[in-house]
Amino acid sequence: MRAGWSYVGRRALFALITVFIAISLNFVLFRLAPGDRTSALRCQGCTQEFKQQLRADFGLDKSKPEQYVIYLNQTLHGDFGRSFVTEQPVTSELWQPIKNTLPMILLGTIISIMLGVTTGVIAAWRRNTLADKGTVWGGILFYSLPTQWLALMLILYLAGPLNLPTSDIADPYLAYNNAGAWAEFVDRLKHMILPAATIGLVLFGEYTLIVRSSMLEALGEDYILTARAKGLSDWEIITKHALRNSMLPIVTLVFLSLGFIFGGTILIESVFNYPGIGLQIYESVGNRDYPMLQGAFLLLTVVIILMNFLADLLYFKLDPRVTE
Amino acid sequence: MSVVDAPMTPLDEVRKSPSRLRSLLSFLRKHPQAAIGFVILMLFVFVAIFGPYFAPYGEREQVGPIFGTPSSAHPLGLDDGGIDILSLLIYGARVTLIVGFAGAVVAMLVGGSIGIISGYFGGKIDNALMRTTDYFLVLPDLVLMIVVASIWGRSLRNIIIIIGLIYWTYMARLIRAQVKVVRERAYVKRAQALGATHTRIIFRHVIPQIAPLLLAQTVLMVALAIFLETAISFLGLGDPSVASWGKMIETAFSRSAISYGAWWAIAPPGIAVALVIMAFNMVGTAAEDSLNPRLRVSHLARRHFRLRPLPDKEPPK
Amino acid sequence: MTPVLVIEGLHVWFELPNHKELHAVKGISFELEPGERLGLVGESGCGKTTAILAMMGLLPPTASAAGKIILDGDDILAGGDTTMRPHRWKDISMVFQGAMNAFDPVKTIGSQIQEPIVKAKLAEGKAARLRTAELLELVGISGSRQDRYPHEFSGGMRQRAAIAMALACDPKVLLADEPTTALDVMVQAQILKLLVQLTDDLGLAMIMVTHDLPLVSQVCTRAAVMYAGEIAEIGTTHDLYHKPLHPYTRMLFSATPDLLAEQTVRSIPGAPPRLDQPLVGCPFQPRCDSALTVCASEAAPLRTGPDGHRAYCHLKDTA
Repeated sequence: MRAGWSYVGRRALFALITVFIAISLNFVLFRLAPGDRTSALRCQGCTQEFKQQLRADFGLDKSKPEQYVIYLNQTLHGDFGRSFVTEQPVTSELWQPIKNTLPMILLGTIISIMLGVTTGVIAAWRRNTLADKGTVWGGILFYSLPTQWLALMLILYLAGPLNLPTSDIADPYLAYNNAGAWAEFVDRLKHMILPAATIGLVLFGEYTLIVRSSMLEALGEDYILTARAKGLSDWEIITKHALRNSMLPIVTLVFLSLGFIFGGTILIESVFNYPGIGLQIYESVGNRDYPMLQGAFLLLTVVIILMNFLADLLYFKLDPRVTE
Repeated sequence: MSVVDAPMTPLDEVRKSPSRLRSLLSFLRKHPQAAIGFVILMLFVFVAIFGPYFAPYGEREQVGPIFGTPSSAHPLGLDDGGIDILSLLIYGARVTLIVGFAGAVVAMLVGGSIGIISGYFGGKIDNALMRTTDYFLVLPDLVLMIVVASIWGRSLRNIIIIIGLIYWTYMARLIRAQVKVVRERAYVKRAQALGATHTRIIFRHVIPQIAPLLLAQTVLMVALAIFLETAISFLGLGDPSVASWGKMIETAFSRSAISYGAWWAIAPPGIAVALVIMAFNMVGTAAEDSLNPRLRVSHLARRHFRLRPLPDKEPPK
Repeated sequence: MTPVLVIEGLHVWFELPNHKELHAVKGISFELEPGERLGLVGESGCGKTTAILAMMGLLPPTASAAGKIILDGDDILAGGDTTMRPHRWKDISMVFQGAMNAFDPVKTIGSQIQEPIVKAKLAEGKAARLRTAELLELVGISGSRQDRYPHEFSGGMRQRAAIAMALACDPKVLLADEPTTALDVMVQAQILKLLVQLTDDLGLAMIMVTHDLPLVSQVCTRAAVMYAGEIAEIGTTHDLYHKPLHPYTRMLFSATPDLLAEQTVRSIPGAPPRLDQPLVGCPFQPRCDSALTVCASEAAPLRTGPDGHRAYCHLKDTA
């Protein structure tokens, strides 16, 4: 047993502080905006009654520090205010989109990790061969494609031939016709595959390049030579030593790219009209629905902070040197 | 355990070579990948500077039908307003590159200075600055950008500042790590012992040492900045008054180019963005690779050592 | 006694990026008997590490080799990597320079010692753990520490563990590449004592690469002095110390500070020649304090002495 609980504790504390700072930053960002949040420009089409309610909700007639305390209190109780558009609580409005987005992101990330790790490892192992050069060029290519553009290209050139839907999350007629759980599942998957493939391909470029270079770095270490001297096969050296060591930077990268993935979902979901958190943000931007935007931003930030905390725990598990 | 001594790093080359231009040329010669990227970049920079002089049509000039197909007069076809896409592409190069470079330079200045201060002085300043970057690193950048852009308003200047403010953290961390290494080198210690001021040491000794890394990172950052510009424009938060590649993709999408089957309205700006980003990445990664001597040796290779016959003229032993 | 290892005319070349070639080892030959400890001495870049990497078959892909490495009567170099691999670690094993990095930081010491044991099918599971514990005890580390990670060991302990790992498959020949650099003097002495004791107890032959001469005379019975990829002189350590035939050997010994003798330390001026171009005459001639005119133009002839003492030098009497 390693004396590492202080490490875990410290990372947890860090995560908590970060959440607090994110919450505060959220307050500052949105209150920095010019004008009252109920002013005509920022709450177009709001009824006079709704505006009154907003003022009361946010305590807009009070001083900034008082508003901050009210805001903190509300946020900690999971109250992010009400949407300007639907006039419903933000929390309940965000719940369904995030449930729609998560499986899509997960599928995309799995695609990218599998593709990226396989090609990156092969490229590093067969350094300077055709396979390596192909991987590097492919990686650079996919890394360079604008996400939204790649999504559009997939719609233009893949959706037709593969007969895949390019909009929405499910076919409403299936549920109407009682097509059964399996048919609905397949339909969901069909709606998910192109958005997920977009995420997968965009991340693949970055992952394969990083996996390759961290593998190369590991393969240059002395313990690899020792392993070779001990008569281990290439496969054993890669799986037992090199990959295990190069996992450390890869784990960091995967978790760090979460912010990028969430950003990417905004682009991807707006192209595919996929009713997830990204599309919600996209529409909130168009509608100037600040409470929704604020809630979504905070939610995503907190999710990322939590995932980073998970990454720290994973790191602790992977690297015995991490104790302080 | 290294069998052959590690070859010189470009850092040494820059230090040794009499002129920067010559070291650039020798770097490009050694890395064909970087050379190709460099040529592509120069091409786009040329278009960005002189484009308006040779663009066939104006950027707001309707010259044919909506989504007109590519023809000899309009090799890339027309967009939803009947505007020549090739001309738009040429005009857009300027804005896209300006945003990319300016965003990266802001990130470099902010991140570079913080990295240098943090790495050079260490201690409490270092701790505070690095904790700050920790917080910034977890923020979802595009989301933050959308929030800021929708609050601050849509302008080129805002986009540049936002890009810089989002990406300074990456720069700061990398530079800090490098400065920490440089700070421990003998001549910096000697300069300190001789009573040189911090400013003098930083400008005379530290910055010249980290300059190649700073440059390589800035190049990579330009690619990121262009990426973000297209994204922010795509979300309708770009500067409404100017043409950029990101905005071209956005208008093509929002005006249903896909339903029209007008691939020529979507493909060219995306390819242009991809080419530029690729070029920056090619130059940047080559520079980064050659700055990292650890990637030079690999103890595991597909090929093994070869056997050869004994030399004809056997030496006396 | 029949030698366990015979090296015959071993050459190693490296391809350089500029299409040049570096002739790192130029036809060295020597024999090693069971239980014998041979020192391989020389300045850095003289090809000593390359020579033992060749004996392990661990040369990088840019290298090519020629000559014979005869283990128990078989030339194991004949088929390149294919014929060397079966003997790696089982017959010839190695203690690497800087044991700090010879262990994978994310695996326990024990699991890394076990790897070759399991690989060679000597033991499995519990038995392999037991064997690992025995090996650790053999080098003076408690067997219960096999579940520790490398960073939890001190430098000296890591080097002991590296020796234990090298002994995992009962090799016949142990190659040690600068086994005590980066260790402090006390630990150095302990490690050397351990190596001597182990080779005596196990009847293990050892080649120790070092640039540290006093170390050679403490540990080794014989030594080979390498210069510019060649063996300049080989013989018993006593002969090399007291009756050197080659001026390089003499100068090398007097370049070493000796606490007891009241001699001034002399360093050897100049630098070894570049090995990426052909050399004419004796390679040491430009730095030699007793060079003759013939040295610059003609390769040095073999001179022999008692007890297999050999040197390549134009001088007629003791250097």
